[in-house]
Amino acid sequence: MKLMSRLFGAAAFAALSSTALPAFADGGTLVIASTQVPRHLNGAVQSGIATAVPSTQIFASPLRYDENWEPQPYLAKSWDVSEDGLTVTLNLVDNATFHDGEAVTSEDVAYSIMTTKANHPFKSMFAPVESIDTPDAQTVVINLSSPHPALLLALSPALAPVLPKHVFDDGQDIKSHPMNATPVGSGPFMLEEFKPGEAIVLKKNPNFFLEGRPKLDEIIVRIIKDPSALLIAMENGEADMYPFMAGSQEIRRLEKADHLTVTADGYAAVGPINWLAFNTASPKLSDVRVRQAIAYAVDRDFITKALHRGVSSPQRGPIIEGSPFFDASIPAYDTDLDKAKALMTEAGFADGMELTIDYIPGPKEQQQSIAEYMKSQLKKIGIDVTVRAAPDFPTWAGRVGGHDFELSMDIVFNWGDPVIGVHRTYLSNNIRQGVIWSNTQQYANDKVDSLLNAAAVEIDPEKRKALYSEFQQIVATDLPVYWINALPYHTAYDAKLQNVPTGIWGSMHPLDMVSWGE
Amino acid sequence: MSDETTLQQPTEYQAESPALEAWRMFRRNIPALVGVALLTVIVLATLYGTFIYSGDPFEIVWAPHEPPGMTPEFPLGTDYLGRDIIAGMLTGGGPTLAVGAVAAAITMVIGIAMGALAGYYGGWVDNLLMRVTEFFQVLPALLFAMVLVTLLSPSLFTIAFAIGVVSWPQTARLTRAEFLKIKNLEYVTAARAIGARDKRIIWTVILPNALPPLIVSATLTIGVAILFEAGLSFLGLGDPNVMSWGLMIGANREYILDAWWPVTFPGLAIFFTVFAVSLIGDGLNDAFNPKLRER
Repeated sequence: MKLMSRLFGAAAFAALSSTALPAFADGGTLVIASTQVPRHLNGAVQSGIATAVPSTQIFASPLRYDENWEPQPYLAKSWDVSEDGLTVTLNLVDNATFHDGEAVTSEDVAYSIMTTKANHPFKSMFAPVESIDTPDAQTVVINLSSPHPALLLALSPALAPVLPKHVFDDGQDIKSHPMNATPVGSGPFMLEEFKPGEAIVLKKNPNFFLEGRPKLDEIIVRIIKDPSALLIAMENGEADMYPFMAGSQEIRRLEKADHLTVTADGYAAVGPINWLAFNTASPKLSDVRVRQAIAYAVDRDFITKALHRGVSSPQRGPIIEGSPFFDASIPAYDTDLDKAKALMTEAGFADGMELTIDYIPGPKEQQQSIAEYMKSQLKKIGIDVTVRAAPDFPTWAGRVGGHDFELSMDIVFNWGDPVIGVHRTYLSNNIRQGVIWSNTQQYANDKVDSLLNAAAVEIDPEKRKALYSEFQQIVATDLPVYWINALPYHTAYDAKLQNVPTGIWGSMHPLDMVSWGE
Repeated sequence: MSDETTLQQPTEYQAESPALEAWRMFRRNIPALVGVALLTVIVLATLYGTFIYSGDPFEIVWAPHEPPGMTPEFPLGTDYLGRDIIAGMLTGGGPTLAVGAVAAAITMVIGIAMGALAGYYGGWVDNLLMRVTEFFQVLPALLFAMVLVTLLSPSLFTIAFAIGVVSWPQTARLTRAEFLKIKNLEYVTAARAIGARDKRIIWTVILPNALPPLIVSATLTIGVAILFEAGLSFLGLGDPNVMSWGLMIGANREYILDAWWPVTFPGLAIFFTVFAVSLIGDGLNDAFNPKLRER
């Protein structure tokens, strides 16, 4: 039996020694290792991986997604978008209950969406939601001010956890609600214990509304802040799964472990794009030819193959290449130093120029190394680059948000639909002084504005795709940013694990089908 | 002790000047001479090496991680970006040594000032200054330097400044001890008797006589400061716009398992420099020590 083999394996031994664990039942325990510390576990008011991984286990959501970007029933057994795109009706299952025994009703769903709309940092997710009607306990009618094709993706577990209204709606500020640390949801796992900065222990929800799920008895998210200690824990079986691993050395090292599987699948919706941002308001960079010259000078292959040891993939445009909206026909700016020099001369900078480059503080390999590479590489086309190291994130964010920069290395996430993570960078009405990850490049193009605004409300998928194609062609010519690579998120997991989600949201997705195989 | 004897002495016995005597002692110390030779070679290489072997240390000239000895143009190979390691070694030496020297100078200035005032005046001045010194002494040096560099944003000067700020307490205590010992000797009393003011006594009477151990300490501080700079760079706090040995190590550290040479060569350069400086420091220590001199 699989349990016995596990008991004799290192994994079980370590799992037993790690936290105060009761004996195994049929399903066994999954230990997820993470370097990130969540502030709390309520994904309705907190974005980010650290919260989303446990939050998607505790809370169910109206829909879930497979690996082909197709919505699947979850709390909503069916859904319907009206002809004009202004009303979305969700028909909920009738057997779902929260972990405290109360039934999940349309009231809870309506409350959750309106709460998320008001409190979640991703304002565009539910911005067009005007009101929500609840004609009966199983029917939710979402009324929109304009068609909102991104809505269905925004109803994913990572973005729209369904909160129990009777617990959270008590007049306290939801962002600092005490129940955020001990949440009650309707998802496949219930919170057993939350030791901040140490571990999150989740127990199987015996009354989960999907028959026969979850398979596992227990999930433990172990927080190991030291990456090298985390790698050792993965290698000797103390931890079974390490999602959102991005360091090339980590990836290459765990690939060598026989009992582990390492995959880059499952991060399509996350869409983390590493890019070089241009301050288009700077007199040196306002000429598109200078920006194109820099693009022609930079060698994406060098960065992905040499700096990132071949684990990251080149990214040519504003929409992640794994997305159905990505247009592969946009200009790629393959390295051409002669062309780059010619463009510099045309722009009137035949004698070169001086620029500064900032980079977001974090793992060296993704941003700092590329900034150092830019310094050396751009010299070839006469640009003398000074690297401005920022001591910490607020300093960097202050410079870039305050538009006090020339070049900056940055990592920005697509977060599923382009409306959520892409529009913010290119819309001219999102040039907001002091706000990081807004349109800090100060790029303004009326055509781009109208294309994005049209795509946001276009419900026909083909027409929407065409609008995004045109948008990509324009920004790939204007280059407010030069996209370099997708962050090489990988998941390492014990090869005996079955059904590790390789959908579009990775492990920010209910792990109710995961089980231990032979 | 009387005026007569001191006046007569020069005519009766030609005393060797202390500096000359120290040099005579130093010359006999083989390890110290090796240190001098080694340091001379290193300094000459960093000052003039780039005239013989020119190359921009930041320029990408070849494929990354070319092993040493494989390509005649780049005898020590290339780093993670494909930059020439020899060019980095030669241009990086200057800033590395400069950081060491500037940091040692800062250490000396602060340390001697604090120690001299505390030792000379005693009483509440001594109390106050020594408490300040102890405050700096109990701070973990590396962490404090990291905080300073982080706050002031990394540049060669801020790094030298941070190293100086964390390493002066030793010098202050040493200076104070020397001053306590010397300030009651007869020649100081004599100077005071002829009406010299405190300032003059401190700087022209006591300090020159307290200098020998301080010179030794300064020399050793240079070595420590170079190591410190390397340590800060290793932790990613180097100045990314100025090539230094520490920066080479810091920049290539991520790839140390893929390629050993971009880290090893600057590491060896630092090792030999610090080694040479330490040998010289030890030699000076022996040369200035009157007990050893009499043998």
